[in-house]
Amino acid sequence: MVLAVAAAATLVAAYAALGGTSYEPSPVANPCAPRPPRAAEGTGERIELVLLAAADRTACRLGVSREELVLALRSVDELDALARKEERSRDELEEALRAGLLGAVEEGERQDLIGGTTARGLRFAADRLPLGLLLSLLRGASSLVG
Amino acid sequence: MSTRTRSTLVGLGIGLALADSSVVTLALPDILRQFDVEIPTVAWVLTSYNLWLALAAVPAAYVARRRPAPAFGAGTLVFAAASLGCALAPSFGVLVGARCVQAVGGALLVCAALDLLSEIEGSDTRAVRTWAAAGILGAALGPAIGGILTETLGWESIFFLQAPLALVTLAAAARLRVRPLVEPAGRPSVPANLALLLLSGALTAALFLLVLLLVDGWRMDPALAGIVVTVMPVAAIATAAVAERLGGTATRAATGVVLVAGGLTALGVLPGSAWWWTVLPQILVGAGLGLALSALTERALHGRSPQAVHGGWTIAARHAGVVVGLLLLTPVFTAALDRNEERALRAGAAAVLDSRIPPLEKLAVAQDVLAIVRASDREVPDVRDAFADRPATAEYRGLEEELVSQLDRAVTAAFSRPFLLAALLALGALVPIAVSRRAVSV
Repeated sequence: MVLAVAAAATLVAAYAALGGTSYEPSPVANPCAPRPPRAAEGTGERIELVLLAAADRTACRLGVSREELVLALRSVDELDALARKEERSRDELEEALRAGLLGAVEEGERQDLIGGTTARGLRFAADRLPLGLLLSLLRGASSLVG
Repeated sequence: MSTRTRSTLVGLGIGLALADSSVVTLALPDILRQFDVEIPTVAWVLTSYNLWLALAAVPAAYVARRRPAPAFGAGTLVFAAASLGCALAPSFGVLVGARCVQAVGGALLVCAALDLLSEIEGSDTRAVRTWAAAGILGAALGPAIGGILTETLGWESIFFLQAPLALVTLAAAARLRVRPLVEPAGRPSVPANLALLLLSGALTAALFLLVLLLVDGWRMDPALAGIVVTVMPVAAIATAAVAERLGGTATRAATGVVLVAGGLTALGVLPGSAWWWTVLPQILVGAGLGLALSALTERALHGRSPQAVHGGWTIAARHAGVVVGLLLLTPVFTAALDRNEERALRAGAAAVLDSRIPPLEKLAVAQDVLAIVRASDREVPDVRDAFADRPATAEYRGLEEELVSQLDRAVTAAFSRPFLLAALLALGALVPIAVSRRAVSV
């Protein structure tokens, strides 16, 4: 009996020490917290950093993860489903998306990640384009710079 | 026919009938696809058998004690005929119906076998040991044999093979005169049977969920998974051989329960998603199974007469435990799987966004992965399909491995709670063992 208890306890303790109690999907980062800096090569990667920052800002404002938001960017319907889940209106979500993009463009410009022309283009998109078109643009944003 | 041959044949019959409580575990995905049914529905192929075995065991035992040899013959014939019915079932309803009939035949066969063994071996004690050992072997080997047969010959072969094997066991009862017992049956041992019920509920996780984790969760080849889970019966056989040296039935039962609970807890905190992580927990569970089930069965039958009736109570308790285990653990598991699927999706999306693949490709990859997950319809998806037509660069391969790893983590974590819950069920068996230890000293 003592041997059985010892064998069981040893195995469970060993597995727990090897990470068994935390062997689960990696938790996603808090979009409101700053992320470690990442080097960008070329215009495409720099625009990508701006768009990822826009996703962080929007997600932080909505109280969701960046990943949940990005998965919802597939279509207006998916975005509406996210709005329903978070008990927000489509207008609130749209406003958060546009504000997040504008804030990230401003920040990107300040850090010299993007030039004036790209920034103006992204600002125009954030201010003026209908939501469906804006989503299509975000999905293929890096093609803008080829 | 020699005593040994007769005992072996009767043991084979018991093993076949009790293996059926878990033999189709690895065949469930194939049955699900063939009859186009949902996961909770297909689980009835297992549940119906165990439920009917539990319900029919005691009435069957009362029938068996009056005419053991004819009851064994009739039970075997019904079991064999229903096995053929399962193999040839044209619809899911017929399959479940045949499984119920098979369980009733199995109950009659198993209960009558105890009196047959007493007659063949000339000792109630030896008969109970052979009877319990055959049942443990059958239940523990069931998933492995079923998996190998399903993979090599198809799920129907499990039932096709059972029918002639069952008929062979009839030879054991030929020309055997067994004295019918008509004395009134005493009260069953409540603590021993309750402990059997709780322990069997816990063992459902080891026999059913472990196989599911290996095959559906970690996408392991069913035949290989069948070989991996033979660790449990091998450990059970090895332990059963030395069990008597470990003390009285209460000590053996309690030791076995602790080992089973320890093994299940270790399965609940697996540190990785490879089959070898399951080996040590399986050894603990198998060793515990070999000790506890036989000790509790001996305890339930000790000093009680007629043996067949009290044997019937142990079968009823064990298979009611399996039903309780299936009904309790399945919803916990499916809820955990749903929750972890969402967590895996978010972790996977983070891996895609933070990867070094071309920016334009990121959303496309994320969308492809999401589409595969959504189309998987409660089965664990294979996200490698999203990379089939993409460049084989280090960046893509790294991302693919990361996504597979996140999915493995999610699936393994989904099995954690049911294993831990099963460990608690097993530990619950210590209470009736402790109560009966005060009352009985065997």
